[in-house]
Amino acid sequence: MIRFTQIASFALSLLVALALIGLWHFVASARLVPPIFLPLPEKTFDALVTGMQNGVLLDASLATLRRMFFGWFLACLAGISLGALVGSSQKLRIYVAPMLETLRPLPASSLIPLFIAVIGLSEGMILGVIAFGALWPLLLATTHGIVSVEPLLIEVAQALAMPKHKVLWKISLPSAMPDILAAMRLSLTVSLILAVVCEMLTGSEGLGQWLLATSRAFASTKMFAGIVVLGLMGYASSLIMNLVEARALKWKSAAN
Amino acid sequence: MSARKPDFRPFAVPLGLVLLWEALMLAFPTASETLAPPHAVILGFFGIVTDGTLALQTAQTLSSALGGLAIGFTLGSLLGAAFGLWRWFDRAMQISVESVRLIPSVALIPLSMMVFGFGTRMEITIVAFTTQWPAMVLARAAVREVEPRLMEVATVLQMSLLQSATKIVLPSILPRLFVSLRLTAGVAMIVAITVEVAANPYGLGAAILAAQISFRPEVMLATLIWTGVVGAGINQVLLTTQNRLFRHSLPGGGGSE
Amino acid sequence: MSTAMPAQISLADVDVSFGSKTVLSGLNFEVFKGEVISIVGASGCGKTTSLRLLAGLLAPSGGSVSFEGKPVRGPRRETAIVFQDYGKALLPWRTAEGNVSLALEVMGVPGPERRSRISELLALTGLAGHHDKYPAQMSGGMQQRLQIARALAQDPAVLLMDEPFGALDAMTRQSLQDELLDLSARTGVTIYFVTHDLEEAIYLSDRIIGLLPNPGRIGRIFDVPLPRPRDQLITKEDRSFLALRHELYDFVKGSEH
Repeated sequence: MIRFTQIASFALSLLVALALIGLWHFVASARLVPPIFLPLPEKTFDALVTGMQNGVLLDASLATLRRMFFGWFLACLAGISLGALVGSSQKLRIYVAPMLETLRPLPASSLIPLFIAVIGLSEGMILGVIAFGALWPLLLATTHGIVSVEPLLIEVAQALAMPKHKVLWKISLPSAMPDILAAMRLSLTVSLILAVVCEMLTGSEGLGQWLLATSRAFASTKMFAGIVVLGLMGYASSLIMNLVEARALKWKSAAN
Repeated sequence: MSARKPDFRPFAVPLGLVLLWEALMLAFPTASETLAPPHAVILGFFGIVTDGTLALQTAQTLSSALGGLAIGFTLGSLLGAAFGLWRWFDRAMQISVESVRLIPSVALIPLSMMVFGFGTRMEITIVAFTTQWPAMVLARAAVREVEPRLMEVATVLQMSLLQSATKIVLPSILPRLFVSLRLTAGVAMIVAITVEVAANPYGLGAAILAAQISFRPEVMLATLIWTGVVGAGINQVLLTTQNRLFRHSLPGGGGSE
Repeated sequence: MSTAMPAQISLADVDVSFGSKTVLSGLNFEVFKGEVISIVGASGCGKTTSLRLLAGLLAPSGGSVSFEGKPVRGPRRETAIVFQDYGKALLPWRTAEGNVSLALEVMGVPGPERRSRISELLALTGLAGHHDKYPAQMSGGMQQRLQIARALAQDPAVLLMDEPFGALDAMTRQSLQDELLDLSARTGVTIYFVTHDLEEAIYLSDRIIGLLPNPGRIGRIFDVPLPRPRDQLITKEDRSFLALRHELYDFVKGSEH
């Protein structure tokens, strides 16, 4: 029964999505919006296929994907370990937590010029910006998750005479997992955005550079194809995170 | 330690870092083309305050961020409320909304630039597009969590849609809507600055980049720090307002996020 | 219980105070190997604090706590705790098996051996066949059985139980009481049982320590003359059971004023 309603609502929402693409086609072909601002959906699709086949769009997409992933990976490593450190030490928190909270609202993109100034225009600079920008949600979420572990569990660990590093590994980190996974999702989004911005700024091969170049040439079908690829990347990373969360947090849904 | 004594420990690390930075700049003066020591940044800050550029750039960024926020927050909240009230509508729109929502906002900068050129309108468009999604998600959650008994009351009293919306739903989601406004305001600032750094020669973001390109590191750093202060300030104002208005209706929830 | 044998746990002139507040004062008693001893008293008289002392989770402000002749300096493998709040004392992200495994991992039991120990312990506590269930999928009674299994995994000489059955329904509580008595008879583990349920204290114990409040101190130690094995109906209809219940009731009631 549940299965049936799920399939039905999926089918309905797919139909609506197709209908909206139909509307897009209608608006574009009736020229209600100038075609350079809104190309036909089928022409966008053609540009997407051509770009993938001749490899230009494909290479740009892979370059962006690579930067996003490596930057995010570095951010995960650094953010979770720093968060575990700050979360486990009350003393350290007194000294650095207010500073971290103050720095949090600073947009990561505003630091790009600083990174350019210090590191120069290089691939390493881009990775640095992505890793640094995507690190914040992870750092703060891990700290928060570890600080808010159920105190009774800490007592259970004490009663077992568990050494400190084992408490972190077996109690605090698993308990902070829901927070950490939510932050990993957010960081992935931040990474993609920063990858694109850096490509726009530095002109390095990638979807950001592709979008800028195609828009300057008024090649709107190609530009739209780039937007579609970025949308797919966003969608795909969200689906992957859904799967990871469903697996890692199986115990949360087990109750129902 | 008594609670009245001011605690200076949180200032120790930032102060130490600033001093270290000053010392390092003194030791390696060649770095001064790309970076500036703290005292130069302070002087640079006074420079851009007195000649009025900082005020102008701040006004530009704020007008785009707040303008975009007004549009995005309103649209997103209305959409989210509709999704929260009518599940079938939410389900029907799911794929469409998700596939558009997950497009990274910056992907639309070139398109917006083609349509509007440089300036406020293109920036407002991107900010509005981006902020509507968190506003939608938060409003949808708020409406869904309206106490079911209250909705039963509305049914029993045979209220019209408009009546139940204004008398039941809106008052009960208002506190959470304000939390949503505060969170989306943060997003709006980040997006505005990002658009300015990436493309729009306008506002604080562009000023930071321009100062870097023209080798004025003290201006770059002063503007960068000011940008952080503005963001933190907006958050603080909204947080204080939230605590004043809704202290009793938000038990522990949303307070620190 | 022969008083000729040496005490397993002994408390000599133990005081506990938090700041200026004295919680326990002048505690002197001994616990013998294999006995079941309960602690009763009005709420706030330091029952749980006494348990934390024995566990080594809390150091006395004065006097000494010793286990088998040596002073207690911290938690030991030989003393295991079963907390009242089973919902919070189990790791929600681990299955029944994983929760028992936690204690074995800390003790450094190698993997293959762990599996057979876990099966044994789950069978002993009536959880055979529930290996893969998460705590959230278990009833309160099963969760508390699981906590007992985890405590037994430590292979303890003493089980410290803090109102372990207080939150369970009456039927479940009775069957767990019988299982606990069965366990103590079979394994010879010493049980230190904190409870506010006087009938439970009598039914389970060899001796009962009655605490008085403000500050917490020993009022009286009651011997329970009832024969073993005990039975929910026969034991509770015994004349000495009823007489002791009366005495304990007057003791606790009298201490509240």
